Amino acid sequence: MQRHPEAGTLLEPDDTRAVFEIFIKTTPERLWEAITDPELRARYSFGVGTQSDWTVGSEYRSSVPGVIEIAEGENLEVDPPRRLVQTFTALWSDDVRQAGASRVTWEIAPVGDDSCRLTVVHDQLSPNANPELYGGWPMILSGLKTLLETGEDLTTPGSLRYSQAGG
Amino acid sequence: MDEVFRALASPSRRTLLDELHREDGRTLTELTTRLPLSRYGVMKHLAVLEEAGLVVTRRRGREKLHFLNPIPIRLIHDRWVSKYAEPWASALTELKRDLEEEAHAEASRGGHAARAR
Repeated sequence: MQRHPEAGTLLEPDDTRAVFEIFIKTTPERLWEAITDPELRARYSFGVGTQSDWTVGSEYRSSVPGVIEIAEGENLEVDPPRRLVQTFTALWSDDVRQAGASRVTWEIAPVGDDSCRLTVVHDQLSPNANPELYGGWPMILSGLKTLLETGEDLTTPGSLRYSQAGG
Repeated sequence: MDEVFRALASPSRRTLLDELHREDGRTLTELTTRLPLSRYGVMKHLAVLEEAGLVVTRRRGREKLHFLNPIPIRLIHDRWVSKYAEPWASALTELKRDLEEEAHAEASRGGHAARAR
């Protein structure tokens, strides 16, 4: 496995964060599409699509209309197919709503001839932030890898919990 | 995946992961105080964990911070455990739906009774 330590972003002092890294056999363009296309996104995000026009300063919303609101925020940096920085306000319960806005950074780096390293950094969380706020990432990223490498949906428990909802 | 299992095969490296699980984003110096090993020894173990993708590092000024990356373990889980957990999870979902339907029926019966009085 190739390592590229120089690619890491510089962290600001003292903000609590979680870092996730996954290697996926795909192109940066396909990976970017899977992150920004609502239907593809829903297939590995508990069945929840994300709507946005993906321009700097635009809003996004992750929800199953009429069933559940998951998150909303602003796209701070949009640099396809390399980097996406967003504010993240969780909406799925009163408790997580109180946490307010944190920040999510997606970084895509090509590795070797046919793969990408995707790093997701979730920061600007308060020190006692509810672990639910960032606890969904391993399942989401694992599902994203499965979708891009096999074309199939990952069907571990809960991974598609809203996909049949409202239907 | 071989690298992940090799990395996990050492008690010292599992202790390092435990430390990061307890508190993420730590420097080599901080981690060295938690283990009965030399700075060099801890550095070598961290390098093996990083090679396996179980630890990722980010820079903060001149410091290098270490984070637990749970993704490789999640992929192992998805490969072998999901098959057993799926029926269990769907049974729980069904139970929840049954209970909610029952509660709903109960509530509407209660409503009729209240109106009848």
